[in-house]
Formats: sequence, C-alpha cells, structure tokens
Amino acid sequence: MSAPGTGNRAMFWRIVRRLLGANRGRLFVILLALGAGAAVTAALLNLQVDAKRRITTEFRAFGPNVLITPFDRTQGSARESTLPTALADRIPPESEGGHVAISPSLYFIGAVYFSRARSVSHVPAVIVGTDLSQVRQFGAGWQWKKTLQLEGSGHPCLLGTKLYREASSGKWDHVVPGRSPKSPYTPGVMTGFDAIPCTEITEFSSGGPEDSQIFLPLHDAQSLSLMGGRISILQLNVPGTPKQVDAYIAALQQQLQGAEVRPIRQFTEGEAKIYDRISGLLTATVVIVLLLTGLCVMAAMTNVAMERRNDVGLMKAIGGATRRVLRLFMMEAALLGLAGGVIGGAAGIFLSVWLGKQVFGVAAEPRLIVYPVSVALTTIVAILSAYPLRRLASVRPASVFRGEA
Amino acid sequence: MFLRLVADSFTRRPRRKVLTAAALSLGMAVVTAALSVSLDVGDRLASEFRSLGANLVVTPEADSLPLEIGGVDYRPGNAGAYLPEADLPKIKTVFWHNNIIAFAPVLEVSAALPRVTYGDGQRSDPELQIPLIGTWAANRVPLPDGGVFVTGIAKTNPWFHVAGKWFSDEGHLERVEMPPMGHSYLPAPPECVVGEKLAARRNIKAGDQVVVGVTTAGSSQNMQQCDVTGILSSGGPEDDALLMPLASVQELADRPDQYRKLYVSALTKPEDEFARRDPRTMKPDEFERWSCSPYVSSIAYSIGKVLPGTDVRVIRRVAEGEGTVLRRVRALLWMVTLLALLAAALAVGASSAASVMERRTEIGLMKALGAGSGTVGFLLAAEQLLLAFVGGGIGYSLGTILARLVGQKIFGVAPAPSLLVLVAVLALAAGVTLLGSAIPLRRASRYEPAPILRGE
Repeated sequence: MSAPGTGNRAMFWRIVRRLLGANRGRLFVILLALGAGAAVTAALLNLQVDAKRRITTEFRAFGPNVLITPFDRTQGSARESTLPTALADRIPPESEGGHVAISPSLYFIGAVYFSRARSVSHVPAVIVGTDLSQVRQFGAGWQWKKTLQLEGSGHPCLLGTKLYREASSGKWDHVVPGRSPKSPYTPGVMTGFDAIPCTEITEFSSGGPEDSQIFLPLHDAQSLSLMGGRISILQLNVPGTPKQVDAYIAALQQQLQGAEVRPIRQFTEGEAKIYDRISGLLTATVVIVLLLTGLCVMAAMTNVAMERRNDVGLMKAIGGATRRVLRLFMMEAALLGLAGGVIGGAAGIFLSVWLGKQVFGVAAEPRLIVYPVSVALTTIVAILSAYPLRRLASVRPASVFRGEA
Repeated sequence: MFLRLVADSFTRRPRRKVLTAAALSLGMAVVTAALSVSLDVGDRLASEFRSLGANLVVTPEADSLPLEIGGVDYRPGNAGAYLPEADLPKIKTVFWHNNIIAFAPVLEVSAALPRVTYGDGQRSDPELQIPLIGTWAANRVPLPDGGVFVTGIAKTNPWFHVAGKWFSDEGHLERVEMPPMGHSYLPAPPECVVGEKLAARRNIKAGDQVVVGVTTAGSSQNMQQCDVTGILSSGGPEDDALLMPLASVQELADRPDQYRKLYVSALTKPEDEFARRDPRTMKPDEFERWSCSPYVSSIAYSIGKVLPGTDVRVIRRVAEGEGTVLRRVRALLWMVTLLALLAAALAVGASSAASVMERRTEIGLMKALGAGSGTVGFLLAAEQLLLAFVGGGIGYSLGTILARLVGQKIFGVAPAPSLLVLVAVLALAAGVTLLGSAIPLRRASRYEPAPILRGE
C-alpha cells in the first residue's frame, strides 16, 4: 500500500508546485502583501522591545536622580556633615539598566575675589568642588555660554550666570575663589592666602541654585576649604526602568550604612509616570497596528484565494475529495506564508535596525526571537485567510463550469 | 452606460467587492489610528511631563547672590530682595496664559520651634532652628478678567505627598465658647504642614498644634500657633521644614504682600535651534514667530514683561530633559505610523491588484467589443476610486474609534477627530488603490482579446 501513498504524495506536491508557479504576477502580489505584514510585525516587535529600554536611557537627560548625603547636613561639625571621598569607590558602577554615573562634590560658603590693577572686590558665594568634565555631563540640559581667558596659572572655573554677571561687570584681570575674607587679599600676591586663581571662566545657566555658584576641581576646593578627602554629596545618575532604579537604591541603602541614600523624587516619580505612559502608548499602538495589519493582509489574501473557485470546481469534477482539495490549498497558503514571513521578517529586522538608528542614534539590537515569531504569525495569518475556501466545499462543479456565480 | 457598468460590477459580485473594501477599510483604520495618536501625542505627553514640576523660576532681579546648599539658603535673614504678591494674577494675562497650568510663590524664612504642645498637653524638646516656608497649597487667585484660578505648590510640585491634608490658604473663623456670654467667632489659628523628618524629630502628628517664632528684619520676635493638618513627604529639604500659608508667613516675618521665589509650570513646545537664539538679535518677523510659539524661553520672556523687576529663568534640567524625551517619543511614534502606513499600503495595493487581475476575461471582452485601453482603464480606475472612498471612509471611522480607545485608556483624554487625517486617509486610499491596480492595468492594456476569450 506504500506505492500509491508515495505516488499520491508526489502528485500532491506537484500540484502545489504548479499552483504556486502558475501565475508569476499573482505570486508576487501575494508575497508582497504577506511580506509587508511580516516586515511590519518584525520591525514593530523589535522596535517595541528596544524602544522601552532606550526611553529609560533618554531619561539620563534629566540629570542625577539619586543623592547620597550625610545623615544630618545642617547640624554638627564639618566632619559629621561631610563624607569621605573614598565612599565613591564603594558604589556599584553598574545597575541593571546600565552604567551609573557618579559625581562627588564638596560645597562650602566662601567668596569670589575680583581684582584689576590695585582694586579688589569680593562677593560671598557657594564654592563647589567637583569633577569639571562631569559637570557638563550631569548638567546635560544646561546652557553653556562664553569662556573668558584670564591671566595667571591655576585651574579653570565654571561660573553660574548670576555670579558671572557680577564678575563681568568690571574687566577683571583675576578671578579668585577663596575662603570668606578674614585676612586682606592683595592683588597679585597670593602669599598668606592659599587661593588659586581661575585661568579661564566659563558661564553657564541652569535655572537652579547652580546659577549663583562657582565650580572648581574637587582637589582644589578641598585644599581651599581645609577639608582634604571630604565631600558633601554624591550625585548618581542611575539609568533603567523605575523598578530597576528602585532596586538599585534599596541595595545601596543596605550597603552604605553611614550615609543617607535618597532618590530625587521629582525626577524618579516623574520619570516613572512618563515611562508608564510612553510604554503603554507604544504597546497599545503596536498591538492595534499589528492586529489591523494582520486583518488587512488576511482580507487581501482571501480576495486572492477566492479566485480559486474554478480550480476547486475542476478538482472536484475529476473526483478530488473535498478534504484533499482543501488540504492542497491550505498547503499552498502555508508555503506562501512561510516564504512571505522569511523574506518579510528579515526585511523588517533590517528596517527596525535602521529606524532605531534614525530615532535614537543607536542601532536597535535585533532580537532573534522576533524572527521566528513573525514568521509563525505570518504563516498563521496566511492559513487563516485561506480558510474561507472551506465554503467552496459546497461548490457544485457543474455550476462553476457553467459560469454561474 | 459608463455608470451602469460601474454599478453592475458592484451589484453582481458584491462579495468580491466587500472583501476588497474590507482590506481597504482595515488598512485605512490602521493609518487613521496611528496618525491620530501621533498627531495628538505631543500635547498629551507635554502635560504628562508636568509631573516633573515647574519649568520656570522667577526671582527678584536686584537680588543678592543666594548662598544655597542642598535647598537651604545661608544668607542672613534680611538680605536680598522681594517681589510683590499683588502682581501675581498678571501672569494669567500673558499671551500664553492657557499654557500656564500652575504657579506658586514661596517666601522662606528661618524660624525657631520653641516647643511643641502635644495633643495630650505634655511639654517637650528644646528650641530648634528650622526653615519656615510660606506658600500656597491650592489658593484661589482672582484674575483681572473676573475668573478665578486655583493654583499652588501641590500643582507645581506634584511629587509632594501629604499624609493628612494640605493647609487651607484662607483663614477662617472658629466658634469659641465663652461661658458667661454663650459663644463668639474668632479668627482660627492658621493651618500648617510639617515635613516628615521634622515631624519624626519632634514627634508631631496631624491634629497637633505647633508654635513657631520668627525674628523679623526689625529685630522683633513674632510668635504664631498653627494647627498641623498633615505630614509632608517630599524627598528633599522640605522634609525638614514647616510649611504655612503664604499670608501667615508674611505676617510673621513682617513682609506684607511679599514673596521671594515663584515657580511656574507651563506647557511648552520642545526648543529647537531657532528657539535658543537671543530674542534681542531677531528681526521683527522672526521675533513675531518666536513669541507666537510656546517655547519655554518665549513664555519666560512674556512673564518677565508682566512682572517688572524680575529675573525669569528656565529650569534647564526639567525643560531640556523634557524636550529630549519628547522629541524621541514623537519620532518613535512617527516611525510606527510610517510602518503602519507601509503595511497598509502594500496590503491594500496587493488586494486591488488581485481584483484587477482576475478580470482578464472581462477586459478581453470589452476590448473585443471595441473599447480602447484608455476606456477600460478609466472604467476600472473609477471602480477602484469608488471603493477607495467607501473603504477609506469606513476605515477612518473605525480608526477614529480605536484612537479614542487608546487615548482614553492611556491619557484619559481622547484625541479630537481631525479633518486633516480624514483628507490624508482618503488621499492615501485613492493613491494606493490606483497604484495597486496600475501595474495589472498596464499589463491588461497589452492583452490581445482573442487568446483571453479562448481561455488561453
């Protein structure tokens, strides 16, 4: 009994091959519809997985979201109200969401001295010692304005816009951050006054309290304030979803017993809300688009499949059992779906890589799982859209040949 | 005759046409839903971003440099300049007044907590220096146009959580029993909210009463008792402070009608290169365009105009971060829309191509009867266009409903149906069906009628 079986199977595949190859234009049209569906499915799935992660990276633009401070900043001695610089090394540099940026700073109230020729003036100001290259990274949104070169050797200084306005009112030769005035400062003479003049001053605007502060390299600020090896605050920029950030903070609180770890709620809460909205929006849009695209491809396919009335009629007329005839067409549909899915899915993944690059500047990492999923989905849609052919089971061959509707 | 042919083609094989129309409607529904959501999302997300709080801060222009570390100002109590509270309603008269969704003035002074009287009358701790913040919780501001605008710190700083309730900004009268005479109504002590760390340190609970003392610029000591209505948790320096209605703090500090800092929360458009230019260097028409766009800088400029003597600054961290994220999300949604458009167009095109291809016989017959390729093409194009408009119309309604569902579910506000989207969808539907049928039609024009009619 095996011989007729193999013969049947060979015939089956031969018919399928012929069905597919009979009309090139038709084949192209079907593959186009199915391939488009598969491409969009693959691209959207890939983009959706990637975009949520990228959005959390974009939140870096809001700057630091976690602060580490001494338990009581306002009361107690200088030692109690500061932290050791070495604390920064105990912070895990990676969170689940990516690399954590850490910026230690020392704050103290001192004065900024401006001098020209023999005249000197000073304003009390908050002096911040920190890593100057990191200031630009942490203050991503700040407006950076002009830089003014000054005489003398020392370190570069960053001046908040309000302080800069004070400084730029006269054409100063020297801008020198120092301690609050007790001993008089003589222009050009630094003895008895351990201050290092600014070699250049750069103006910036943040809209926050930084606008009236001056930033120096951490080490210089520590020696100026006689607080070597101490810092007032550690600012962290922790990337990740709200859950990942919370988990990181909780772990850090466990680890650093001597300091207070707290989120900047303005940003952590705001980001959490916005993240929920964006990911909800993205998911909803993607689901709707996928669903409708699937239905749309299905309707187009059904339209094509219905053309097969004549073929069904003929096969039935020469004695094909309804089930076998249907199996033929289902197989044709499945093969088309598979081919459309394989081609379209690959196209979609490349499309999403390119789109990711357009939107985020970084190519989306293709997720391999997306590929089989979109191929499977396309095949299912193709088979489902051939399903209305089942109704042709009731077709009477004679009426088809007579050309009746 | 032409119309009869078109009508015939629809009535004789309705099922076929229904299928093509279904593909079209579904495709156009995708496009409509995606387009409506993308067009609307900027405004919706902009208001979501207000959960980050104020994006503008107003300070006196003539102020001395603040010595602020960790949210605490270390200037001597009487240093610095102040602004008049009476000017505040003018903010809602600027061109972009509808974009200003909240503002809150703040007057912060250093105060002393001499002692706390607990509910059960026990005495407690020694004196404690604390920041006393006077602000509005949800104040009713009468506007120049006769309306009332309710605003305050609860709106500008939405991450402030109060266990209990916020203080009321207006004083009220309290019934006081006076045994010999019956009773009388006297002004009740103001209400206040205590930061959670301060509350923990002094064991203060909602319902307690707190006495606070302030040394004024004139070196006199003012004392005031207040009813604690809630415990504030902010995650910031406010957790160590006592918050009272602005009017009470003004009275305590002897600074009637004055405040020091104003936070403004405004809906803005992300800044581009043009927005960052200095308005003083712009030509008149450029300035016009700049001030007619809700950039955060142009809103700051217009607030500066109505509040003389102020320095209005953009809180860069909030504004720029918002701009970056918003731009990305918008681009992302446009990409999704584009993809949806692509898929819909290809599927619809394929469907209409198929519907033309199956009509080989019909085309052959028409040509045999003497119809030129142009006439045949015109007839089929008319049919496809009719389908496109019907399918596009149905798809638009379906897509609008879907967009409403998404908008309602995610933002609580449905996007308004837009005529622009309808026009775009109809144009796209017509374009795609015509393009889809153009290729098989061009082939059809090359058909020889005889072999087709012979069934070859």
